[in-house]
Parts: sequence; structure tokens; C-alpha cells
Amino acid sequence: MVDPANTSLGRMLLDEISPVVMVLRTPLVEEACLKNGLTFIQMLRPFCVFNNIDVPVRTASDQPYRLQKFGLRLFYESDIRQPNLEVAKERLKQVITQAAEKDVSELCSDLPQINNAVSRAENEVLPSWFQFFNKELVHTVSFSDHEAFDHPVACLVVVSSKDDQPINRFVDLFNTNKLPSLLTSGAMDPKILKHYLLVHDNQDGPLEKATKILTEMRSTFGSDCQLLCINSSQDGVVEHQDYPWVLYKSDDLPSQPRRCFLNVDDFNEIKDLMQDLSTKHVIPYMEQKIRVLNQQVSATRKGFRNQIKNLWWRKGKEDVVDSPSGPTYTFNSNESQIRVLGDYAFMLRDYELALSNYRLISTDYKLDKAWKRYAGVQEMMGLAYFMSDQSRKEAEYCMENAFNTYLKVAPSSQQNATRCGLWWIEMLKARYQYKEAATVYFRVCTEEPLHSAVMLEQASYCYLLSKPPMLHKYGFHLVLSGDRYKKCDQIKHAIRTYRSAMSVYKGTTWSHIKDHVHFHIGQWYALLGLYDLAANHVLEVLACSHQSKTMQELFLRDFLQIVQKTGKTFEVSKLQLPEINISSLRVIFEDHRTYASSAAASVKEKIWVSLEEEMIPNLSTARTNWLELQSKLIPKKYKESNVCVAGEAVKVDIEFKNPLQIPLLLSSVSLICELSENSDEMQSDANSLLSGLQNDGESTKLNHRDVNFENSLLSVSDVGFSLRGGETTVVQLTVTPRVEGILQIVGVKWKLSGFVVGFHKFETNPVKMIRKRVQKAKHPHSDNLKFVVVKSVPKLEGVIHPLPKRAYVGDLRNLVLELRNKSEFAVKNLKMKISHPRFLNIGKRESLNAEFPACLEKTNSDHSGVPANPTDASHSMFLFPEDTIIQGETPLLWPLWFRAAVPGNISLCITIYYEMGDISSTMRYRTLRMHYNLQVLPSLDVSFQISPCPSRLQEFLVRMDVVNKTSSESFQVHQLSSVGHQWEISLLQPVDAIFPSQSLMAHQALSCFFMLKNHGKPSTSEDEISSHFRLQGTDVRLGTQGSSEPLFDIASSPLADFHHCERLHQEILHKGDTSTVDFILISRPLKNDNNPVGSDPPHLFSHHACHCSTASTSSISWLVDGPRTIYHDFSAPFCEINLSMTLFNSSDVVASVHINTLDSSTSDNLNDATPVQPATSSDNQEGWHDLSLVTDIKVTSDVLKVRTSKSTPVESVSPFIWSGSSSTRVQLEPMSRTEIPLQVSVFSPGTYDLSNYVLHWNLLLSNDQGNRDSRSSGKCQGYPYYLTVLQSD
Amino acid sequence: MATTACFVIVSRNDIPIYEAEVGSAAKREDAAQLHQFILHAALDIVQDLAWTTSAMYLKAIDRFNDLVVSVYVTAGHTRLMLLHDSRNDDGIKSFFQEVHELYIKTLLNPLYLPGSRITSSHFDTKVRALARKYL
Repeated sequence: MVDPANTSLGRMLLDEISPVVMVLRTPLVEEACLKNGLTFIQMLRPFCVFNNIDVPVRTASDQPYRLQKFGLRLFYESDIRQPNLEVAKERLKQVITQAAEKDVSELCSDLPQINNAVSRAENEVLPSWFQFFNKELVHTVSFSDHEAFDHPVACLVVVSSKDDQPINRFVDLFNTNKLPSLLTSGAMDPKILKHYLLVHDNQDGPLEKATKILTEMRSTFGSDCQLLCINSSQDGVVEHQDYPWVLYKSDDLPSQPRRCFLNVDDFNEIKDLMQDLSTKHVIPYMEQKIRVLNQQVSATRKGFRNQIKNLWWRKGKEDVVDSPSGPTYTFNSNESQIRVLGDYAFMLRDYELALSNYRLISTDYKLDKAWKRYAGVQEMMGLAYFMSDQSRKEAEYCMENAFNTYLKVAPSSQQNATRCGLWWIEMLKARYQYKEAATVYFRVCTEEPLHSAVMLEQASYCYLLSKPPMLHKYGFHLVLSGDRYKKCDQIKHAIRTYRSAMSVYKGTTWSHIKDHVHFHIGQWYALLGLYDLAANHVLEVLACSHQSKTMQELFLRDFLQIVQKTGKTFEVSKLQLPEINISSLRVIFEDHRTYASSAAASVKEKIWVSLEEEMIPNLSTARTNWLELQSKLIPKKYKESNVCVAGEAVKVDIEFKNPLQIPLLLSSVSLICELSENSDEMQSDANSLLSGLQNDGESTKLNHRDVNFENSLLSVSDVGFSLRGGETTVVQLTVTPRVEGILQIVGVKWKLSGFVVGFHKFETNPVKMIRKRVQKAKHPHSDNLKFVVVKSVPKLEGVIHPLPKRAYVGDLRNLVLELRNKSEFAVKNLKMKISHPRFLNIGKRESLNAEFPACLEKTNSDHSGVPANPTDASHSMFLFPEDTIIQGETPLLWPLWFRAAVPGNISLCITIYYEMGDISSTMRYRTLRMHYNLQVLPSLDVSFQISPCPSRLQEFLVRMDVVNKTSSESFQVHQLSSVGHQWEISLLQPVDAIFPSQSLMAHQALSCFFMLKNHGKPSTSEDEISSHFRLQGTDVRLGTQGSSEPLFDIASSPLADFHHCERLHQEILHKGDTSTVDFILISRPLKNDNNPVGSDPPHLFSHHACHCSTASTSSISWLVDGPRTIYHDFSAPFCEINLSMTLFNSSDVVASVHINTLDSSTSDNLNDATPVQPATSSDNQEGWHDLSLVTDIKVTSDVLKVRTSKSTPVESVSPFIWSGSSSTRVQLEPMSRTEIPLQVSVFSPGTYDLSNYVLHWNLLLSNDQGNRDSRSSGKCQGYPYYLTVLQSD
Repeated sequence: MATTACFVIVSRNDIPIYEAEVGSAAKREDAAQLHQFILHAALDIVQDLAWTTSAMYLKAIDRFNDLVVSVYVTAGHTRLMLLHDSRNDDGIKSFFQEVHELYIKTLLNPLYLPGSRITSSHFDTKVRALARKYL
């Protein structure tokens, strides 16, 4: 533990609580001293403090002790009074303002680091003016009447030797009524020790006169007279090595030491004088007074009897005085005497004695409710405890008690409370209880903002100094202090505190704290005119999405104001308003791949690559040429970077997001680009090197090149838009390089509200390095943002019009593809490929001007219309004719046929490949990619069911089900065509019976029947092929009976082509069926619809149903033919009837057929395990068969047995028998027919069902066909064939 | 219900992961930052006190004028801090315990990264309901 006297509090107390000497002087004394630029007191002051006075002192006890440190406080009589509060405040303010002036330069420096602050020692952290400020605060309460230590102990009466009648002057000085009120009001004993001093100025004359006066004085006043000679230096200025007044300079001395006439002799004389005064007069006087008072006090107060008396007496006095300051005590009252005794003892370092007296008096004051005096005594007790290094707890308790008591009698004692608090704090600090000290500082705060600002700042430093440092509290108190500094316009101090606080709050995630600190410090910097700093701070709080709308507005408005005041364009890297979503960055550029629309660019590259696979020249062959060229033009190191073409825009999609609730106005949003020309390779290297260096240095700065120069090289788009609160917008920015070279997209810049330029640099380099090593970059933006700009080459622009956005299924339209080439160089070798050939078909050039749909109509001539495309156009690419060259202004128009094949959302991709006419260009070919999105809605749903006609061979019944699935459209069914010349379709009923209303309304369903005939020759494989060339078929008009509208030629180009596509597509579904038929239903929208005629181009709907199977499940069909009714005379033994069975093999392999005729006796044959399937029932024949049970439960053999047993005649003896061979076996060639004779013998008249025969058929498959079809054999029950035999008469 | 109350959950890295003004008093613009300052400053005290006791509820540990800071420290050193002007010790304790439970439930969410901001609106409504109930 440090000696309490050596702590800062100890030193402070030595300064503050030491005997006061009142100085009375004549004006001439002052005049003599002022020659040195010092007042009399100032001159003496350095010699008033004695660090090693070594005087023996004996107070109340008998044991003397030696006093080491001692000091005297000198005051003019005019200063011994309570200071004026207002003046004091003014002084304090001045002190603070002065302190602020010193720190201006610091305000602009970098922010302090918290680690530095922690590691620094206390003295370095605390501003020096704190101590001075505290001292001034303490002085505001000096010379209070309740504290005896401020009462003058002695009086120094000083007269100059130049004065007239010096003796009289001495008397006059003390007798004037200018004496301080303390002496006159009776608060203290007016009889004090007097000491007479004669000052002689050696410059004024010889010493003799002075010594004469001195002897005169001695005779008049006794021995307490002394002579002081000053200004002994004759020739003026004396330079002193250790100017003793330097220490006091800061107080109130003029800053420059003036001429000094004091020499070493004078110093020594003054020193001797003061020592003499202390040791020989003041201290003995105090000793004596202590002894006298102590005796009095012991007599009146010590001892049991006196205490009882005192207590009783006080009780009685209780109701006498109750003024706010408590009762008044004169100097000769007991209480005052005890207090004086205590204070004197304290000043003479006899703390035991002081304490005992303070204790004694404190109870008295408490009982008297003299709270201010009580508090004062408590305060002194605390200090005494501290100085005697006794119980800490007691000391703190006393200080707290004093503090609280002072506050209780507030506001008059506020200053006392402050002083008490400051001492208390020093006490705590001396014991390293910084945390507690800080709380006391906090309590010392008063209403007055300036005062509390300083206190709070000191509190914050206490938190910083406590172990471990409490940084959060440090920051908080700094902020509190800063706010109060601001309140009293001490902006520099406010900034200083906030700057310190910033070290705590830097990078904090406590959003409101961060906003508050940055915003206020920014505002204050702005008040000081440091707009750059201000803007930097306010910038931090701009993206405050958590704040309320008004706060956001306030922040933004202030920021803009500050920026405006800076008077220059303010550039901010990574300005938070608006936010840029870097991951959303998309770069669209066109090298050999060009895009017709932005939608095309957003389609996955994979799709395009697969589409273009066959079109673009083989890599190995293409590369040799292409690379060779490129390596000449492009430096090697850029080989891996992207290629773009001069004069063509590189587009960048950037997503901007407004994080605030208030709208933002953005203007001049553009890309920052660098383009270095590579006129020759060396220079380009140098250029790129240069730009590389620039990039390192100025990642947070914008470099401004010559704008004109830039403009000649490249042009960037300039976009302005406004973002509503919380809105996110994707903006497309473009840059168009004008010359060849290396283009680097560096970043994006924008103007916020017209004058704040924000920019954001894309930092791709680290990402790029990593990605490159792993694989090709996945996202466009992580590609290098560096482009090699090559010489401008022709570029095709294409558009298809009018491609509908929405269409109904089956919609058939005629479109035009328009290709333009703006450049003067020609392109040639065009090829085109379509991702969905079912939807788009390439027409003939001749049909460009043909009128639709008239061009599809059947004319009289057999080969009308455009013949179908001979090539297999469905999947391969389309080659434009060799001589197609697009150049200059003339566009190439080419007809396309569109047909909405299936419902759904369709993404149509079309890619067109073309080669440059100019061989010397860097690129030999390019591709144009077009993309359209299309919504196809369901319209008519057409399904066909075909079942063989049971009564005729090669004839079929066709049921067509049509459902209109649209919600509003009506259709008119126009025509139904069957495809293939072997098929012939015809109506079963007149059209009017089918279509009474002649149209299909929305949701309407319709079924109708047709007869389909397979006539003539069996088709061969050659025919199949030929049918591609020319679709032949028969048409059925389904329109109104009398309509003369021509039928459409299904063999004409688009219909046939689309039909072919449909066939190919639907083939997958109907695999393996050999005998199939295709139908095309053509309808058109009802003319008198809601939408006016003419707004819609005329269009047709064609519905293709392909591969409708005509075959039943078995590939063998037969027909039993013969007489139905026979007259026979049964007198003859029996009647023989000849029948013939025609067998037809519809499969493409040889079939072996085996017919078993059954008589009833052999009916058990039917009961074998394989169920016999009636020929009439086929799998895909729902709703179109006889209603026998078999279709539903054909697998159940039980039921079958019932049926077969039923089918056998009821009589036990069969009324007829099959005559002839009971079993016949024939071989049938593919697609051939044969006839087998059958014979039946009938024994009696009646009607007979000749169905009791069974056909076994077996396809003789070769090996490779073996697994193609599951049904290679089968067994069929015979058809019912009714034969009526009548008795002929 | 307290007229002023501000509830904050502070992660072990001193980052606020949940904030709510649960007082019934009309919201003042500058109150939010003052509350944050007070709570932020109280972290020092929590740091000192948390290791002196095994109890999770530290009671009122700090005050600023008439505002009191009560703290509850979880085992993972996440601090639930409540700034309030009412003296309802039992209510605050129950409030903390229930919020702790809610917080644990949040932690159990596999999609919640411990130490990140709690954005669940369900959590928010629950906490506010608890505040109405206990404070």
C-alpha cells in the first residue's frame, strides 16, 4: 500500500487543506512585485510548500512528532470569500473550450485503436485538463463558513518601505472594513495571528531607510516583524535555470516570463521568510490553539457526565432552529471550537485527534439537523480515515454519507457534493477501485450538461482503467458524455468522445448503436465544416433497413446535404444504396453465338449446343483455320478469355435492391469499362500491365480517363430509374466496344439522387483463379470479365412473325422468318434447325406469297398445292439453298409453317448457322439463336376407334369421338381424311344427322361413325415409302351439306409434313401394329365468333391421329359365307349345305391356320385351359362390340364353360353335323387370303347357329421376329352364323 | 405490464440475435438506441457476474437512471437480457425461463445455425405473448 500522503488525493489534500494565510498589502508592494510580472502572492507561492520541513509538533498528546510536509495557502483578503458561482461556471467553460482548441488536429486523424487505449498508462489516457478542471470545481466551494480549514490561520500584513508612514499603514490595513466576512460575521475568531512584513525594493534606494522602519516596527508591534528585500538585481534581466514559477504558470500567470529582477539572494530571502513564518509562527500558533481548545473540549464534552448533559441539552434545543442550513454557530460555540480543533489537528497531520473530534461533533450536528455541517464533518472524517490509512470501509462509508447528505440539502450544497464526490473518487482510485470510482463520477453528474459531460468522460476512463477493462461501459459513457458536450456546444469535445467510443463500437452488430454513433459524429463533423469526414461517417448508416422510415429519410437527407456541401462529386466505393446482388450478375455477350432476343440468351447453353451439334463445323477441322487466324490477332495470354465483336454490345444484367422503405432515385447507371487497344502486341502488353498496376492501387477509387478518348473506344449505356422502397430491379447495362482490343468490365457506377456517385467493382480475380483450375466456370459472371474484341463481322438478326404467344392445339398457321444482315458483308451457307419440328416446319420459298389457307385447298388437278418435302425434314437440319446470301438492306424472308401439336408450355428453339462471306474475318461462322415461348391450349380432342366389321371382310367401322375442350371457342369441323390410298372412308349417315348445329361449342362432345374400307391390293413396302412422297387418301366433308367449300389437300406441303412428324412421334406409342390407318381431322374456328373477323388471320386446325389400329387382336380374320335360308325336303335323308370360309392373314408373316369343327360330342375340347377368345372382342374395342359377357370376364373359364355349353344345341343329339373334314390346316402367306370349303349336314328343319368351330392359328415366325410380338398363336371361337333350313314342300 | 421493456438475446460473441421492444409505452424514436446502449454496456457486468454464481438468473445487475437490466445466462453463455422499469422479480424469472425453453427449441431446429439471428416469426409472437403474461 502506498503512503496515503503520496497518492494523488494526499497531494490534493496537502494543497487544499492547509493553513490559510490572509495577505494584506499596500498598493506599492504590489507595484514593486509587478516589475517582475508577478503579484506578491505569486511571488511567494513557490516557497509556500515544504516537502521536508522537519518540524517537531506536539498537539494534544504529550508525545511530539515531526512534521515533514507542510504548506501554506496565501490569499488576499479580497479573495477570502465564497466564490461567485456564475463566474466559476464561466471559468470552467473557458477551461474546456481552451482544451478543445488544442485538439483540433487530432479530430481529423485516424480513429484510435482500443488496444492502444487499454495498454496505455493512466496519465497518458486522461487529458491533462481534467485535473485542472477538477481543481477548479473544488475551488468553487472554498471559504465556506462551516469548514474551519479554509479560515485564515494567520494574517500577513505587508507594507512597502516606500509607503508614507509605514507604521500607520500597518494599522490601517488591518483595521479597514475590507476584511472578509468570515472574520466580521463571527464565523471565526477575529483575533488571529498577525505577522508584519516590510518589503523593500532594492532598486528604489539603499537599505538604510528600510532597516530604520523595521526597528520602528519592532518597537511598535513586537518581534513579529520582518524585512524582505526584492529586486536586488541591478542591471535588469536575470535568467534563472530553474524558474520556480513555471509550475504555476498554467494557473493564472502571463505565459511569458518577463523581465525578472529577482536574483538568487532574493530567492533565498523569500524562502527563509516563508520557512520562518511557518515554523516559528504558524505552526506554534496552531499547536497552542489545539492544546487550548482540546482542554476546553475535554472539560465540556469529554467524560460520561458531559455527554449525558450534552445529550439532554440538545434534546431540549430541538425545536428551536430548523432553518435549511441548520442552526448557526458562532466561533465561540462549542461546536465550532470542536470543528476548529479537528481541522487544525488535521492540518498538522494529527489524524487521531482530528478523527476523535470529528466523531464528537458529527453526532451533535446530526442531532441539531445541521446537515451541511454534518456532511462537512463526515467528509473530513472520511479523509482522516484515508490519511491515517485506517479502515477503508469506514472511510468510504463516511464519504458516501457525506455525499448523500450534501445532496439531500440540495441545491445549495451541490458544489459541496461535487467536491466530496471528487475526493471520494480519488480515494477509490488510490485503491484501484476504478469501477466504483466510475459510478461515483456518474453520481456526481448534475443537471448542468457541461459539468456532467466532463464527469461522464472521466467515468468512462475509469471503466477503461479498471481491471479487466470494461469496454462496453467505456463506450457507453463516452457516448453519454459526448451527447452532453454537444448540448453545450462543445462540438470538438463531442467528436473527441465519440471518436474514442468508435474504437469500441467499430464493426458492432448492434445496429442502433452503430447508427447513432456514426450519424451523430457525421453530423458534428459537418457542423465543423469537415464534410469529407462527415460524409464518410454518415455513409456507414445509409443502409439501415432496420430503422423506421422517418429515420431512413433523415439519414439520407442529411447525407445528401453533407455531400452537397462538400462541393464536389462524391465517389463512394460499394455504396450501400442500392444494394447490388453480385451473384445475380449475368453477362451476355455474343461471339460466334448470337442471340435474337434476351430470352434466347437465357436458355441453357446445353440446349443450344445439342441443337447445333451437327450444324457447326467439326471442331478439329474448324479449329485449324480459326485458331490460326486468332493466334495472329490475339495475344496468347488472352486466348482463354471471351471473345466479343467490335460494334456489338456486351450486356450485363445486374440486380439492384433498395434496402430502405423510401424511394431511391438512380441516374447514370452505367458500366465501368477499360478498353485497351492492341495496335501491336507490345503495346497491348504494356497497356494491360499498366491497367493491372492501377487496379492494385485503386480498388476503392475511380479513375477518370479522358471521357472523349473513352467515347471513341467504347460506348456504355446510361440508365436511370427509381427504386421504390424494398424493390428489386434487374437492369440491363450494355457496353459496346468500337475498336479491337481487350475489353475489361471493371464494375458498375451510378448516381444516387443526382450527385452521389457510387460504384462497385466486380472482384472476379480470386474466384476466377480457383474456378479455372477446377472446371470451366459454371455461371456467366464468374467467367472472366475480360473480353477480346475482334474485328466486326456480319451479324444476322432474325425474327419470326407473327408467332402467336398462345394457340390452340392443332392450330395451323403460316409464318414468315425474316433474316437481316445489317453489315455490308454477305453471309452464306445458311442452315437452320428447329428444336420442335412438330411445331414448326420449314416451307418452300414459293409458298411465301401464297394465300393461306387457300393454298392448301384441293384443286381440280390431281397434283395441286405444293408437294410435300421430299427430304426427311423432321429431325435433320434445313439447308437453305446454296445461292442464299443475305447482305445489306434486303432481308431474307422464308415461310414457316406452324402447328401447335400438343398442349402445354413449349419453348421453341431455332438456331441458324451462317458463314461469313469474307474469309479473312476472325470468325468464319456464327449462329443465330432464336427462342420463343409458346402456350398451347387444348382444343379438340379427337379419338378414333376402329373395329372390324363382322359381316364384311376388310371393312371397318370407325367411331370418331370429338370433344371440344376449350372454354369459349367454337369449332367447325371441316373434313376428315384418311391417309393412304388403300383406305377409303365414307359416311355412314348424312352429315346433317351428325352435326345438327354444324359446329362444336365449348365443352361439347360428339361421336360419329364412318365406314372404312380397305380396298384393293395389299400394301407392299414399296407403297409405304411412296406414301411419304405423296399422301393419298380419301376425304369426307363434314361441313354443311350444301357447302361448296373446297376440301383441303392433305397431301400438300405443311399438312403432309406435319403429318409425317406426327406419325414419327406417335409411332413410338403404337409400336408393332402393322395394319394401321391415319386420320386427319381438319376444323376451323367458327366464323361468327365473338372476336371480330379479320383480327385473326385465317387459320386451320388439323388434328392428326396416326396409327389407329385396324387389326383385331388376332392377325387372322375370316368370314363364313354361304346360303342363309335353304328349303329342303327332309324326306331325303339329310341336307348338305356347302359353305365357304375366307381366311385373311393380316400379319406380315406366314400363318398356319387350323380349323376344327366341333360337334356336341367333342364339346369337352373347349374346356381346356386356354380360354377361347371370341373373334369379335378385341382389346381396344370398348363400347363397340356385342354385349356378350365374354369381354368383361373372358378370363374366367367357368363362365365360358356355361356359354359354350349353352351354345351347344340343347338337344342331346346334334341337329346338324359338320361334314367334310373335321380338321383343316392351311398355310397363309402374309397379307393374303384363301378360301376353305366347309360342309354342314342338317337333319331336320330349324335355325342353326353354326358357330361351333374353333380356329387355331399360329404365326410361323422366323428367329429375328420371335420376340417382336407376344401373340404368335391363338385360338378363336367361331362367329355366330345362322342358317335356317325350311321344309320344302 | 411494464411501461418500458426491451428484450435482447445476445449470442456468446456479443452479437444480438434477437431484439424486441416489449414495453407498453409508446415507442419513441431515440429510445431504441438508448436501450441498446444500456444493454450493451451491461455486458461488462454480466461478464463479471456470470462466473461468480451457478444460477442462470442473475437478477437485476445494472441500472441506468430508472431502467434496470436483468440478465439470464444460459449454459452456452447466451445471454437473455431484459431492460425494464418494473420490479417484478418473479415474473421476470419466469419470463426468462420460458424464453430459454423457446430458445432451446430454436436451437433444436436443424436449419438454425447457432449464433445466427433468430428470424422465426413464431418465436417472436411467443416471446411477445410471454412478455404480456409475465412482465
